[in-house]
Amino acid sequence: MTKEELITSLKTIVKPYIQDEEAFNNLTEETDFINDLKINSANLVDVVLDVEDKFDIEIDNDSMEKMLSVKAAIDIITNKLNQK
Amino acid sequence: MIGNDIIDLQLAAQESNWQRKGFLQKIFTASEQNLILSSKNSFQVVWRLWSMKESAYKIHVQQHSKRFFAPQKFECFIQSKTDGLVCFDSTKYLTTSVTTPQYIYSIATTKTIQNNSTSCFKINSTSRLNQRQATYHNLKSTISNRHKTLFDTLALKKNAAGVPSLYQNDQILTLSFSISHHGNYGLVSIQN
Repeated sequence: MTKEELITSLKTIVKPYIQDEEAFNNLTEETDFINDLKINSANLVDVVLDVEDKFDIEIDNDSMEKMLSVKAAIDIITNKLNQK
Repeated sequence: MIGNDIIDLQLAAQESNWQRKGFLQKIFTASEQNLILSSKNSFQVVWRLWSMKESAYKIHVQQHSKRFFAPQKFECFIQSKTDGLVCFDSTKYLTTSVTTPQYIYSIATTKTIQNNSTSCFKINSTSRLNQRQATYHNLKSTISNRHKTLFDTLALKKNAAGVPSLYQNDQILTLSFSISHHGNYGLVSIQN
């Protein structure tokens, strides 16, 4: 899966939780889930669970700890997919 | 230092499904999960504990200027209907929580005896931007009354870690406070 494909999948996952439409439309690797997309922190758990379901991977606590941005999420997903 | 967090329970019920598979396991320790599942009002315990974790995390970020997402590492101990303790490694945070049918909030502090003024208020707007503005407004008007300064000379700025500070004419005010808003409720806590 290319990075662009990953970003597209991630966009679909985060869409129900975002509270800043403009930041969502301009989403890049640098986008922060909380500061930019204004996802509330309890919903960040839903993002993590949705990512696990979508990619059939397990995101351990150490990885979840870092999952605050698109870039971090992509790194974590890529890493876990490579381990499969 | 002080940290706070408020949850609009009606909105929380819409935004989050705490019974979703994996949800509790990602956020709570085994003993916290027991506490939730053995309670007659699990929903309320979920959000009481969450607000305790979040308020303690908000102090931690002020202390270390580093953001992360590790709710399980903030282990909660409920001592009474209001009092609680949150442990992160060897650091202890003391919490006071208020539970009503409409909202739950927690205030965390680093020391036992630490006076703070907290105001919880209703925000009659569904726009997140208005909710944030109302919360900022409450903080600024409280401080301008207390310090006998002009409201318009005060400005709120956040640092890279997202921690807000108040500035008066571009000079930072040495003041410990915490603000939170969710749905129709806002919360402003200022350390005295």
